[in-house]
Amino acid sequence: MSLQIIFFTSPTCSWCPYLEGVLRNIIGNTKELSLEVIDVTENVEKAEEYHIVAIPTIILPNNQRIIGSVDEAFLRKQMDQFLIMMS
Amino acid sequence: MIISTGIEELDNMIDGGLRTGSCYAIKGSAGSGKTVLSLFMALGALKKDIPVLFISTEVDPEKLIMYGDSFDMNLKSYIDKGLLSFEKMSLKPKSTSLVQTDKFDLSGIIARTQSKMKSLNAKLVIFDSISAFFAEFVYEKTARSSFMDFIREITDKKAVLVLTSESQVNEEYSTLEEYLVDGVIKIRTELKNNQMIKRISVPKLRSAKPIKFENRFIIDRDGVSILRSEQPPLSIIDAEKIGVEKLDKMLGGGIPAGSVVLIETDGETNYFPLFLQIMCCNLERGTGVIIHSNVHMYSARIVEEFKRVECDITPHLNEGNVVFIDKYNRSVTAVEAREMSQLMTTDDMISVTVELMQAFQKSEQKVILFGDLTDDTNILTEPNFLRYFALQSFNIKEQSAIAYSFINFNAISREMLARLRNTADIIIRFSRSDYTTYIECLKSSLGATFLPKVVKFRDKMPLIEILD
Repeated sequence: MSLQIIFFTSPTCSWCPYLEGVLRNIIGNTKELSLEVIDVTENVEKAEEYHIVAIPTIILPNNQRIIGSVDEAFLRKQMDQFLIMMS
Repeated sequence: MIISTGIEELDNMIDGGLRTGSCYAIKGSAGSGKTVLSLFMALGALKKDIPVLFISTEVDPEKLIMYGDSFDMNLKSYIDKGLLSFEKMSLKPKSTSLVQTDKFDLSGIIARTQSKMKSLNAKLVIFDSISAFFAEFVYEKTARSSFMDFIREITDKKAVLVLTSESQVNEEYSTLEEYLVDGVIKIRTELKNNQMIKRISVPKLRSAKPIKFENRFIIDRDGVSILRSEQPPLSIIDAEKIGVEKLDKMLGGGIPAGSVVLIETDGETNYFPLFLQIMCCNLERGTGVIIHSNVHMYSARIVEEFKRVECDITPHLNEGNVVFIDKYNRSVTAVEAREMSQLMTTDDMISVTVELMQAFQKSEQKVILFGDLTDDTNILTEPNFLRYFALQSFNIKEQSAIAYSFINFNAISREMLARLRNTADIIIRFSRSDYTTYIECLKSSLGATFLPKVVKFRDKMPLIEILD
């Protein structure tokens, strides 16, 4: 079983490519986590479902949301918390 | 395309209705009726089968439907018909926690709104409370600047966007959105005589001339009704002209005999032109005038003023068409008059009244001009002055004469002003803002009140010109 992290992006968002790279970098190395990237302009239903307002939004498995771009260190710290939970 | 708001008077105020491709803001303090007004706007469009998307940021859709039901809107039926959709959009859905940074944009709501608009074919989008929406952001500035994209994207789709926004006390154009929107509809509540009174105005309108004055409005089950303060005047047969054509017209043809006209000015506005104009007009018609003079308005000064505007009144003076009642005797200097005014007593005022009555009896003159009454208020105690004013007013009505009383409303107490207004039949008020003088009629026995109009003073007759 893996915990899913949802990443909402849009073509107009200038921070998204960087953030997506960082996320893929962290999650790619851990089996316990999986990443779903959703473009709000293409998949509006998902955006509705998750009540997305601002982009980028990262939804973590504990229902926490990160709104806006953050740095790698912060993201790693957040992810570590799940890894501890899993083990 | 112009979308009617469903409120006829509001349509008139915003130049016909809401224009597609434009963005409007409804500004008002808490509880002033922004949401209700926006719901009524939605209803106006829905009744004409124009689809509406209503985005709510704080109130749940179910509550809004209930809210509408209390005004007999029956919004549910429009939702069933597929004409209306309520969307709740807030940054923080229930049972989530947030971490926020300042590096974001609002493409999420833009995408959601656009897709909803497409499926509904919505031509009117209402965003209820941008204030509540922004309040959720830690980095409000980023949210506000990103919101401009939202406005642009929605209005680009040939739709009308209506935002509601909370206004703070004493707030003038301070928020960003106001520069971006094409029209601002401002609503305000004030407590008057223990009653909450709602007022509506349009301080900004790009498509046309904004309407700066405020109208009262009422929200009840029948909808929103706006009470215009400008009413068409009744026409009268026996009216005396003031001499300013436009003013006469606006007052319903002139001043009916037996009226007390209170002309209020602030200390900065010169009322001499109007004074001279009325005097001149009456003299030309051969009615003659009685002038109740004071510190500024003694006989010598008036003659001098007439010379300045190149109008000769000497023949009238020789024929006795002008009667001066000089409280301070004749031809005194301004300084002397001021000194004398200090010595005036109630007895003197009574003697003035008697003199005035005699003047009425003796002559044909039926028009009396009270020079600045402000001086008299300084001389007499408040109750005495009011008694004096009431007595004179009674006199005037008895004789079916017309009295023009000039007063500086800044120099007297509010209570006194209220009482004077009560006694007066017609109130004309001069006010100034930013070096522009305005004239308005606050009260009229004929119901011919009008809203502030710009006044221009001229050097030659007619001394006053009223612009549109």
